[in-house]
Formats: sequence, structure tokens, C-alpha cells
Amino acid sequence: MRNAAAIAFLLLAVSAPLQAQGADTLAAAHILAARELPVIRASEEVKLSEAVAVPQAVADVLRRFTGVQVKDYGGVGGLKTVNVRSLGSEHIGIFIDGIQVDNAQNMQVDLGRFSTDGLGTVSLYNGQKARRLQSAKEYISGASVHLESERPVLPDGFSFLARLRGGYFGTVNPSFQWDQAAGALAFRTSAEFLASNGQYRFPYFDEGMLLRENSDIMSARIETQLFATVRGGELRLRLYGYGSERGFPGPVIRKGTGLPFSAERQADQDLSAQGSWQQDWNGHYATALRFKYANNYTHYNTHPEKNPAALPYDLHYRQQSVYGSFVHSFVPSWSHLALDLATDLQWNALESDAGLSVTPQRLCFIGALAARLVWEKFRAAAHIGYLGAWDWFTRTQSGAWDKENAFRDAWMPSLSLFYAPLPWLELDAFVKRSFRLPSFNDLYYRTIGNSDLSPESALQTGIDLHLKAASGPWTGELRLSPYYNRVDQKIVAIPTASQFRWTMLNIGKVDIGGLEARAEGSYARGDWTLLATLRYTFQRAVDHSDAGSATWGNQIPYIPLHSGSVDFSLLWRKWSFSWNTVLTGGRWSRTANTDDYYIAPWSTTDVSLARTIRFRTPKGRSRAPELSLALNLNNIFNQYYQIVQGYPMPGFHLMASAQFRF
Amino acid sequence: MLCGALAFTACDIYPVEPVVQPSKDADLDGQKVDVTGLGTDAKKIFVLNEGGMGANNATLDFLRMSDGTYVTGAFKKMNPDVGAGLGDVGNDIAVRGNEVWIVVNNSGIVEVLSAKDETEIAVITIPTPRNIAFDDNYAYVSSWAGAYAEYNSDYSIKDYSNPKGRVYRINLKTKTLDSKTVEVGYQPEGLALRNGKLYVANSGGIASSLPPSYAYDNSVSIINTASLSLEKTLEVQVNLKNVWFDGSSDLYVSSLGDYYSTHSGIYRIDAQETVTHIGDYVSVAAMFDGTLYCIGNAQEFDFYTTERTWKGWKCKGGAVSEWPVSIGSGTPYGLTVLSSDACLIGDAGDYFNPGTVSLYRQGSKRWSVNAGVCPGHFALW
Repeated sequence: MRNAAAIAFLLLAVSAPLQAQGADTLAAAHILAARELPVIRASEEVKLSEAVAVPQAVADVLRRFTGVQVKDYGGVGGLKTVNVRSLGSEHIGIFIDGIQVDNAQNMQVDLGRFSTDGLGTVSLYNGQKARRLQSAKEYISGASVHLESERPVLPDGFSFLARLRGGYFGTVNPSFQWDQAAGALAFRTSAEFLASNGQYRFPYFDEGMLLRENSDIMSARIETQLFATVRGGELRLRLYGYGSERGFPGPVIRKGTGLPFSAERQADQDLSAQGSWQQDWNGHYATALRFKYANNYTHYNTHPEKNPAALPYDLHYRQQSVYGSFVHSFVPSWSHLALDLATDLQWNALESDAGLSVTPQRLCFIGALAARLVWEKFRAAAHIGYLGAWDWFTRTQSGAWDKENAFRDAWMPSLSLFYAPLPWLELDAFVKRSFRLPSFNDLYYRTIGNSDLSPESALQTGIDLHLKAASGPWTGELRLSPYYNRVDQKIVAIPTASQFRWTMLNIGKVDIGGLEARAEGSYARGDWTLLATLRYTFQRAVDHSDAGSATWGNQIPYIPLHSGSVDFSLLWRKWSFSWNTVLTGGRWSRTANTDDYYIAPWSTTDVSLARTIRFRTPKGRSRAPELSLALNLNNIFNQYYQIVQGYPMPGFHLMASAQFRF
Repeated sequence: MLCGALAFTACDIYPVEPVVQPSKDADLDGQKVDVTGLGTDAKKIFVLNEGGMGANNATLDFLRMSDGTYVTGAFKKMNPDVGAGLGDVGNDIAVRGNEVWIVVNNSGIVEVLSAKDETEIAVITIPTPRNIAFDDNYAYVSSWAGAYAEYNSDYSIKDYSNPKGRVYRINLKTKTLDSKTVEVGYQPEGLALRNGKLYVANSGGIASSLPPSYAYDNSVSIINTASLSLEKTLEVQVNLKNVWFDGSSDLYVSSLGDYYSTHSGIYRIDAQETVTHIGDYVSVAAMFDGTLYCIGNAQEFDFYTTERTWKGWKCKGGAVSEWPVSIGSGTPYGLTVLSSDACLIGDAGDYFNPGTVSLYRQGSKRWSVNAGVCPGHFALW
């Protein structure tokens, strides 16, 4: 959804330096601050509720962060996945209010589907998140993205927000949100509709321009949240429904006259219910209970009647998952120490008529024992995590290969240290091992099943150097983060001795060395505020799978050596202007780092102008109604580029939005 | 086997071509290899690299025999105007007279090039074309997209379980598609002509993973080319792949097997259309001088190892004999036999990155050159 919503927004205005303490304490400010201090701060954090113009899609918030590569297939409905520090998107956990959005089928979470509406913060942990009462799954993700909603603040007891966005690609995107307080309870109900033809022009090799077709999408989201505070305990409930129907425009390839690139369509229906209850019982003992049920249905059809070149596929998938988590946290009388025990249980099932119609199921136990120490300028956290997964399947028709039910497990330790020797200097370091399970696709679908597959392992180490300065109207901050990762036993598809069948084997190895740098500055005087952020990421991700192969020592696909972003914002009274440039260096689509597979560097620049109009406060109300208008000019230099080879991105496009809150 | 028709076709198509003129591709340079004493009178050996599905990276290489130069990416170099390149998934290549015919599966085209300089002569659109064979007047192309299932008014499929394939034919002179086509089995692959009949191997490769049958096709469709109609369907074995005519009487058909209980193998269809099982284990095979040369792996059901033990064997007149060839741990993906002691083998490597083409003499490797992704098909000119 980045095209429809690549809105330049005031990232810096709301990020860590200015809001450091506020961001640290987040949702549970009432619990002792010392126990809540994170050992390692989020690598990147944006407080959306205070931003002036926020991108519609979470992917657009993430894509400018250091260490992050968003893989974007282009268009309003195109798949968007996130890769952090070259670990592979399967190692990145996406958490909504502490509960993971999982996909046992392929372990890819489409970030284009997550709206920033109603979210409080978006944060990224390149290393280890270590906070009180977090779930076991939050400990064992390689890197993690956290989307947190915030309890609405309602001085008048209620609030309405209506917004209309629209622009290029025939995009119409209305949404509304209703917040209501009722005693100790608060409700938030929101709904959103999106329709777009997704059409844009792109250069077809050197043969002129073509229109991207079969790229339309229609989607609707409705959700309701309940927030309650009972005797110092916090209760949350979230019901979520999402439906979409979209076309896959397909890769741009040479096509015979009159043959379309693609007529593939996909329809989705996602339903979920999740909730949590956090309770501090006596200052020394606190618990958190979490649960989730998710039901995701997908229908995929290649429509050979419209595209005679398509292989005829008409497939249906239904994934279900049930998740429960119980976390205990102890703080002894010597309150510098905290101990957490987190135990999660999850069941996944996939039904489909694809392949040989196996119906795989998985039961996972995830446990973590964690300790945190906060002692003056020094903090430390350590945990040991355990993952055990039982897989079994039932076959709806006979024949084919034998697959065995399998059990896989792994231990995952981590250590993080933090030291702030001076008020303006912070140092931290971490080392961590994590694993990701093979997906159902790895095990059962795309290939010959391999019940011997082991989990894929990731070793991560990193150091952070954090400098801060403030003087008069000026503030400045610098973060430098060198790191080294190794992905081992990487699950790789390889052709079997029967070349038309593939299997998955744990044979990949990748060594990753990198450096992230972020510099931020602000200047405020009178009505004026000026903000700037520069980000730079260097990543050398080297294939070390097979010393005898011709590609040994080469950069792995789709990882640029250099990437970065420039953000600049100017605020004056009710006006704001922002500028965002994202730069990605050259990279290769294959491990063969030859000219044939080189993908050219690209950059896009988005600018936005926004104005807030505040009306007179009505009698008996404490908050003034507000109208916010924003104009977003995306890819203003009309650069044609591809992030994924064969999937062109749109050139210049414009979006406008009007939001009214009362 | 096309030598007889070569001279005739050449002057038929190029009536005013000057006799002596340096080929436009003479400047193309590449890797130098030793081509002396290979026992073939071919001027060029074309190599079609399939590329990856959706990656639009099918490429055409050739080995120029006059100076032992292996040229990569020749299509793009000689046809810079075709910005999209050769296309997506090159599935078959054949030389007919002074023309190279290339079947580009996912692009839905048959590309006709000059064998002399790889410049484009014609492009014919056929949905999901697979393989190609010729008689004196037509090129026959198998296609997975033939008869469709029935549809509801909202374009949803009422019944998609019957996606039978079709054979299209192209007039060799006009390079245009004949309006008449013929339905064959599920997902047809290789095809060959024998005495006015076209034999089409049906795989059922897609049908095998679709409800309700989940079954491979196991038939060869026999087509009368005079009337372009289906004459007979012959049961052979599941998942058929290629068909070769030995030039005198026998046809050979390869099966990929079902990957768990039926091994890949070769079946003979004799002049009386009797089917006999010849031998097992065929990953790649090529016909030369009436002999079918095969390379297969006896451990083909051991899917969980990267170790492979390849074994060569050959067959003439239904009689099987050893054909020693030491492949090592490679992944042979294409084969062409040049003489009784020389062959070229395309190695697909990891199927994702560019592979290699190697010369084998007396069963051992003499040299290797870097090719494109999945070098799988050869044609001699």
C-alpha cells in the first residue's frame, strides 16, 4: 500500500530522542518505572498518535528505518514483507499488542495489510526486546516489529474521527473511528474501506510504456477494542475482521501478443479475537494472560479463461490458530532485579486443496525464563528460551511420499548489557541465538516433504553507541550500531535427484556484517520547528553455504550493500511540511553477482504538506474539533524502479486526505 | 535427421541471400574452448537456457565450431530492439534448415531466428507452448492451454479438472498459426513424427496436483497429420516427458515416474505400436544416430541427500547397453550427443544461478563454460 500512502510524515517529531522517557514507559506507566526500563531501547520507535501525517500502511513507516529492507511487489495491493539485518523475513516477528501475527503456511506476514489507524507506536527491535511481562514469543523472535495500540484519552468521554483519503490509481479510502469511555472502560471501534484500480504506467523494457493491469484491490477492515482498568490491572480485548479481493499483476516478462501478464486473483478473509490481562498483584508479583484465535481464509485462482497461458489453479486455504500465554513476573524486595517466566502454547492448522491435500497441524510450546537487572547506570538482561513443536498431518487422499509426524525443539539463550557512563552517552551490546521453525510450505507443499528438516538458526550480535546533546533550541542525537549475524541451517529449496521435484534441506549459511548509523537533530524557535534525520545502513550478507560452489562468498539476493534515508520536516503554527528520500544501492537478484542479475540503485522522494484547522471548543466540551488536511506528493522525481525484479513500482503519484475529529 | 531437408528449405526461405557474407554475429566473443576432433560437422551448437519462472531470463548461447567460441546471451546481443529479451522459460529449441525455432513457455511465444546470426525472423503467439517438431510443411507445438473447463457467468470455474492440452501447428513458409488445432491429453510435452503420424507425450504434471483425481496422465496421443485429428491414444506410463524417433522404425518415450514408486524410465513404441519397457532411470536423454543416450540416478527416490550417483546407459533397437559417463556430483539438465565419443552436458547447478555446459569425451569431462540459468536444451546447425 506504499503507493497509495507513502505520505511523508513527521517521523522525527515523535521518535525516541524527544519522547525518550514517554516511549520507554509506554502502556504501563503505573508500574514501577525502574522495573520497566528496557535494557536495550528499541532500535527505532515512532509514536504515531502524535505525528501530524502518518502513512496509511505500516510498511511505509518501517521502510525508512535502519537495517530494514521492505520487499515490495508494487502497487496498492502488492505484497510487502520486511527483512531486518538480512536475517530473512521468517525470522522477523510482527506483534500487535504483544501477540504475534503468525503464518504457519509460509511465515510471511504482508505488512501492506496493516493500517496505522488506531495504532499508538510502531517500534523495531534489531536485537532483543526485554520488558516486563512480555510473552515467550517476544523473546524468541530474531528481530521484531511491535505495533501497539494505546488506550484512548477521552476528556469528553467520547471522540469521533472520520477521514477520507484518495488520489492516484483511482484510490478511495474512507475510514472512521469512534472512541467511547464508560466508567473504567474505553471502547474503540474503527472501520476502513479501500478501493483502488492500482493502475500505473511503467517502462516495459526498452519498448515504451505499459499500464500495470489486474492490480486492483478492494478491502474492508472493521475492528473493535475494549480497554479496562480493574484494581491496577489492565484488560484488553480486540476483535478484528479483514476482507479483501485483489488481482496479482504478475511479473513483467516477455509475453506473446494478446496474452496478459496475469489474471490471478486472490480473496482473503481474516478474523481474529485477541485479548490480554495484566495484573500487578502486590508490587512484587505480576501476571499477564494473553490469548488469540485467528482464522484466515484465502482463495487463489489463476483464471485460465482470461489468461490462456496460465496454469489452471483454483486453490483454497484455511489457516487456524489458537494461542495462549501466561507470564509471571517477580520483583524481590531488592527491587533492582526482576525475574520473568513466560509460557506460551500455540496450535496451528492448515486445510487446503493444494498439492496432495495434506492437513498439517502443529502444536508449539514456547517457554522463556528471563532476568533483568537495573543498577544505577548499568542494566542487564538474560534469558533462556525453549521452543518445542509437534507436527502431524492427515492426508485426504492416498499415495505420494511418506511423511512422518515430527518433533523439533531448540534452546535459545540471549544476553543484553547496557551502560550509561555519562548523561549523554549510552552503550549497549547483545548476543542472541534464535530459531525459526520450517513452515508448512517447507514441509508439505511446494516440494517433497522432508520431516527431517531442522529449525533454521540465527546468531545475532550487536553493539550500540548512543550519543545525545541538547543546547538551547538545538537537540542532536547519534546512534552507531555495528553488528554481526550468522544464519545457519538455512532452509533452502533444492532440486532432488529427480530434477522436477524439489525438496527443502538445511544447507544454507549466511554471514552478515553491518553498520547502522542514525543522526537526528532539531531546532525549535518561536513558532518554528525544524527536524532532520539521516539514516545509513551498510550490510555485507555473504553466502557461505558451499565452499565448492561458484557463488560462495557472494552477496545474497536483494540485500544492498548501502541504503539510507533522509527525513526533513518543518513545522510552523498549524502547517507542516515534510520531505522523505529513501535510497537503496545496487543489489543482485541472484547469488551470482553478475551484471545480468544486477538491479540498479533507486531512490524515491516524497513530500507532504499538511494543515490543521482547529475550531472553537463547543460548550461543555474540553477538546476542540479539528480538521486536518494533507497533500502528499510521492516519488516527485518520477523515478521508475523495481525493488523486486519484474515488479515495477509506480512513478509520481498524488494522494490527498482530510480528517475531521470532534 | 534434418540434413536432407536443409538445402531445400534454406533456399526456399532465403531466395536472394548472398552466398558469401560474413555472419553478423561473427564479432560476438566468448569463452574459448577446444572443439577439435569432436566428430560433428555442425557449424554451431545452440544452447537454450530456460531461466527461472517469472524471471524473464531465458537466454540463447551458442558454441561456434569454427573457432571454438562459446557465446552467451546471443539473442539479446543480436536483437537489441527486443528489449524484453528471449522471454520467460525457454522450453525447447530445434533447428530447421537455416532457422532456429525456440519455444518460450511462460511468454507464450515461438521465436524463429536465423541460425546464421540469431536475428529475429518471426514470433508466433501460442499459449503455454512446450515442445516442437516438424514435418515438411508445419511446425507442431504442444501446448498446455487447450480445451478449458466450463465457466459460470461470473467467470468462476464450474469445472477445471479437465484442462486437456492441444497441439498447434505453424505453417513453415508463412510462419502463421493454422486455425486448426487438435486436443491431446493432459499437459502434453514432447512430440515426434513417424510416417505421417505425430506422437505426443502427455504428462498430466498439473492434473497430478489438482483435485479430484490427483493423477498423472499416462498416454501418448497419436495424431494423423493429414487430417490433424486424434487417431488413437496409447497407454505407456505415468508422467511422460519426451519422444524420440530413431530415424528407422522405433519411437522412444521417457517417463519421469511418479517420484515415489514408479521410477523414471524409457519405453519403446515399435512400428506395430506395441509398448515395451526398456530401462529405468532417465533424467536427461538424447538421440544420436539411432541410439538413445540416457543419464539417470538410481537413488532418485532419496530426496534428502545432495549426493548423487549418475549412471549412463544407451539403447539401440530396443537393446540396452552401458554408456560410461562420470558426472560426479553435478545436476545434469540437458544433453546432446555429438559423436560416439563426445557429448555436451548442461548442468543446472542450483537451478537459480547460472549453470555450466561441459564437454565430455570418452565419458570424462574435458572442459566447462559458464552458461545461463538451467542450460537444458541443445540444437545443432
